[in-house]
Amino acid sequence: MPAYKNSIRFILDGKITEIDFEKEGLSPTQTLLHYLRSLPGHKGTKEGCGEGDCGACTVVLGELINDKIVYKAVDSCLIFLPMVHGKQVITIENLATHKTGKTILHPVQQAVIDENGSQCGFCTPGFIMSIFALYKNETKPSAELIRNALAGNLCRCTGYHALLKATQKVFKEKKEDHFSKNEPKVKALLTGLATKDVITIESRGQRYLKPFTCQQLLELKKTFPDALIVSGSTDCGLKVTKKHEVLPLIIDISDVAQLSVIKKTKNIWHIGAGAKLEIIRNAVKKDLPVLYDMLTVFGSKQIRNMATLGGNVGSASPIGDTLPVLFAHNATVVLQNTKAEREIPIAGFITGYRQTIINKDEVITAIRIPVPDKNSFIKSYKISKRKDLDISTVSACFNLELNGDKVKQIILAFGGMAACTQRALKTENFLKGKVWNEKNVQTAMPLIEKDFSPISDARAGKEMRMMAAKNLLMKLLLDTNEKQIK
Amino acid sequence: MNKVQSQIPHESAQHHVTGQSVYINDIDHVANLLHGRIVYSPHAHARIVSYDISKARKLKGVKAVLTYKDIPGHNNIGPVVHDEPCLAVDKVEFIGQAVFLIAAETEDVARAAEKLISIQYEPLEAITDLPTAIRKKNLIAPPRKIETGNTTQALKKAPHSLKGTLVIGGQEHWYLETHAALCVPDEDHYKVYASSQNPTETQILVAEVLGLPSNCVEVEVKRMGGAFGGKETQGNHYACWAALLSCKTGQPVRISLFRDDDQKTTGKRHPFIIDYEVGFDDKGVISAVDFVQNANAGYATDLSMAILERAMLHAENAYYIPNMRIIGRAYKTNLPSNTAYRGFGGPQGMAAMETIIDRIARTLGKDATEIRFRNFYGISDRNITPYGQMVENNRLFTVYDKIIRSSDYYNRREVVNKFNAAHKYAKRGLALTPVKFGISFTTSFLNQAGALVHIYKDGSVLVSHGGTEMGQGLHTKIMQIAAAELGVSIHRIKVGPTNTSKVPNTSPTAASSGTDMNGMAVKNAVDKLKERIAEVVAAHFNEKAGKNSSRKENIIFENDVIYDSTNKKRCLAFEEAVTIAYLKQTSLSATGYYRTPDVNFNRETGKGKPFHYYTFAMAVAEVEVDILTGHHKILRTDIVFDLGDSINKLIDRGQIEGAFIQGVGWCTTEDMKYDKNGNLLNHSPDTYKIPTISDIPEDFRVTILDGIPNPNTIRRSKAVGEPPFMLCFSVWLAIKDAISAVTNHKKEPAFSIPATNEVILSAVDSLINGIDSHKATKTQREKK
Repeated sequence: MPAYKNSIRFILDGKITEIDFEKEGLSPTQTLLHYLRSLPGHKGTKEGCGEGDCGACTVVLGELINDKIVYKAVDSCLIFLPMVHGKQVITIENLATHKTGKTILHPVQQAVIDENGSQCGFCTPGFIMSIFALYKNETKPSAELIRNALAGNLCRCTGYHALLKATQKVFKEKKEDHFSKNEPKVKALLTGLATKDVITIESRGQRYLKPFTCQQLLELKKTFPDALIVSGSTDCGLKVTKKHEVLPLIIDISDVAQLSVIKKTKNIWHIGAGAKLEIIRNAVKKDLPVLYDMLTVFGSKQIRNMATLGGNVGSASPIGDTLPVLFAHNATVVLQNTKAEREIPIAGFITGYRQTIINKDEVITAIRIPVPDKNSFIKSYKISKRKDLDISTVSACFNLELNGDKVKQIILAFGGMAACTQRALKTENFLKGKVWNEKNVQTAMPLIEKDFSPISDARAGKEMRMMAAKNLLMKLLLDTNEKQIK
Repeated sequence: MNKVQSQIPHESAQHHVTGQSVYINDIDHVANLLHGRIVYSPHAHARIVSYDISKARKLKGVKAVLTYKDIPGHNNIGPVVHDEPCLAVDKVEFIGQAVFLIAAETEDVARAAEKLISIQYEPLEAITDLPTAIRKKNLIAPPRKIETGNTTQALKKAPHSLKGTLVIGGQEHWYLETHAALCVPDEDHYKVYASSQNPTETQILVAEVLGLPSNCVEVEVKRMGGAFGGKETQGNHYACWAALLSCKTGQPVRISLFRDDDQKTTGKRHPFIIDYEVGFDDKGVISAVDFVQNANAGYATDLSMAILERAMLHAENAYYIPNMRIIGRAYKTNLPSNTAYRGFGGPQGMAAMETIIDRIARTLGKDATEIRFRNFYGISDRNITPYGQMVENNRLFTVYDKIIRSSDYYNRREVVNKFNAAHKYAKRGLALTPVKFGISFTTSFLNQAGALVHIYKDGSVLVSHGGTEMGQGLHTKIMQIAAAELGVSIHRIKVGPTNTSKVPNTSPTAASSGTDMNGMAVKNAVDKLKERIAEVVAAHFNEKAGKNSSRKENIIFENDVIYDSTNKKRCLAFEEAVTIAYLKQTSLSATGYYRTPDVNFNRETGKGKPFHYYTFAMAVAEVEVDILTGHHKILRTDIVFDLGDSINKLIDRGQIEGAFIQGVGWCTTEDMKYDKNGNLLNHSPDTYKIPTISDIPEDFRVTILDGIPNPNTIRRSKAVGEPPFMLCFSVWLAIKDAISAVTNHKKEPAFSIPATNEVILSAVDSLINGIDSHKATKTQREKK
């Protein structure tokens, strides 16, 4: 492997910034937030929680995709610095412009002032950046879309109403801002930053490898089978920010272009393991509406802008929200090493609590999801204490196929009910061949107790989990009835 | 009277939106700054057997490792009662108690040093929940009582009675800026940049732990990134710890908490368990209420007794109860000391009363709003509180008339009923709840404030006052007040950081009183300056005109001009007048002072006039509950508020909306879960869920009433900080109303605070499976 260089380059404050990790004594898992705050004049980006749950550290990344700059709000507290290589980092300090001693505010900033959207001001920079990203990507967002874009930013003072009004206001007279005017210049800079060779960073006893092609990745994984694969670091980031673990060896796959591919062939969606959830969400809205629904309540926009489907599958968490959906769709996981590729059904891929069958020299390269048959009724549910940006207490995805009024096939996949995502097989068996009506569903509900024995934790008690899981069967019945009425 | 320039946004808004506003962690350019770290107790209750810090002290980059032995002054930082050691001596009493302090060149070194400390504990029996503390009678102070009439007898005579218990959870403040402090030493002077609602108390405690007089310690608070009561006393600790490390090392030291540590180690809103019994007639008119309020104080007294007192003083909320007994008990537990939180006990006290009203309605088969209306305090009679204060300037009926119409309450009740009849698994609920909140510190001597106003030669004005800015817009209102009183445009006014060297001996910015008290103190200073300038200006006019016709009492300050009202041609621009005053050797700096008149409360008798006045408000909320998942959404909320003559409706609206949503969080999603050892399980936003933008009402209507000025307050306004918090009961009881619809309002749902989806599902399950929590708690007599 070529030890290409120890440094990364990105755009900050409109200029190219180069960081040599070894020279500057920086850890490659230094977060973008801490790096920014260490710079003079960059104290506007705040730390509120260090785990991507409050959005106070929101910055916007500009990425060149198909010759267009795409702006994404992200939580800078979870991003390892090398992940911004080749990108434009936009912080709160970059929004206003200054001319002859006068500050010209960005329209987003002015709107928040006019609607009194700031009180203590601590969450404000994060909110401004989230609204700014929305401003760059949308023309006339609905209230629902605004809420969805801002659900990753917590504010304890305002009650959000003023921020909602400010966001609606700024779109009423949308103007071209200085970022639009500077795009040609920034594009040229970003094009110049594009690299193809693996970046190797060795600093402070850590090794951080950043491949750009699938081939490079597979070779690296073969050489370093114990390396931790990181893409959005929305999960791994916590090891650094909260557990203060030193991660000795990392392969960062976030810029492996082939892994971001999303395409449909022969009614099967091929989703690259590195594709960001927000991009997937928008791509599959029509074909896989149930996945779309689940992704809508998955983390926050900032998290979905970084997190990947490969990551959610690979971490095999019992509460990974996409997993029941993949179970209900009979999805498969594509694993690859330098020699071969294999495709495993999702249910066979996950073997236990955060356990999978992946070999050390393999990486997940894609997830394949068949477009459901027209006769299947699929629905996902997420029960959480809070609607948005919450981890499931219980999640579920059901796939029901009726033959007349009788159940022909049924998949009842649950998250949060066992050590890993599991189907309620006993309940499924009972329902198969039965008439799909309230009486049979009510009889089936107690059978969930035979399928699962959930635990109590910080999110909810086991009784609540059991009650909710049973009730979801009734929800499914109601939803199928509603569909028939329509 | 000059009008205030109203509806201006927060004075720091531009700094907020550009990221230029500075918080403790943003203070830059401090040379030789050290990182301060606190080593916490991992036990809820344990004896310290032995420890060894020698290895940690020797680590490269470590500048100091301190134990209680290194404290030069008093080892005590209790704000009211001296029962909180600054650093643990021979025992620890909660998980998160400070045992050692470390100062190091970097955070990594400080963390490494902590790992080199060895300490042996001998765990002792710990009480980590309120029911156990009650069972063991582990009181932290003697019980309190407020009583009027003959409650026992009235309960016996009442045609109906009910009793029950309400369990009320705590609440994490979740200010966005975690606790932090920076101490910069200079010779024998310590300047502490604190995130504190009470700079004077911070100053006193820092001086005490350092063993210095107060004049050696200067505390400055520019702004806090949210506080909500969480920084009324507990911000002091970090200031003391940073100062101790600074004192030892001679270097500046900053301490700032990671979110999880803040959540694990600091006090919360007090959990309460309230037992109640009520007597009422066929119409729902209440004749007697008996309350026993039990509060979980945590390991130390902190403000618990004042909080309990406010809970007791709000136990009747907006209702006249002729016979009432309120017993208040605060219990010691091995948890972080619970502390002030917006409402300060008021929410807990009111929650039980609103539960009573709700249950009376269900018992009598009436709409709860009707029961509320029948029991409201009267205008000319039925207007004496259980503690003997008369409810004057009662605005309950004004607010009620407005909201009943604007919310279309009774028509919507019909619509809700129809919806519920048509849906088996989705239910809607509607509730109207009132708030009557007493304004003043119930510790009467705290009702005083100071200010310092300088007018500079160029006509610019610097205002300092004792209040702190935590986002509530206090400084903005102070600027408006100063500008209006001085008759100048607001652009001349600047409010400086709150600093104990500018204004001494101040009270905490708390009890919603910041503007009321500091605004009056600023007015007092401005009045003095106007008097002095008016005298000089009158003399100047007379000198110019050559005759003594201008008198200082006719000099008017208005629109940046100072003129003689009897001869308007005699006028001067404000800055001209200021220049003349300076040249005539006039002091253009004045202090201001204010004490709230006629407030007193006797804790022994439980009687007095603790409040200067009351703020009134009501809310109507409609919710829809999915009874299969326990999820709810707030379809609409109407709020009507009496704020006298609002000084700034934009800011007051922000306070109303923000407090309401914060209350909704407390009532719905914010539950605190502990394990049996006293570990807080949800110590980060991952598991502790405050509301997001998706949780606010889909339709949110806030009205601030006009034309009802408040007598005897600054610019006839009213306090706003806390009262809207308690409007959250509209949502809480609307959820209960929806659940109750499952069995057609025939059974009493089991309900508590917070009503998480877990509580909702369990309540629905109990209703369907035949458990009526109403029947379970009916009194003996009623069963006959």
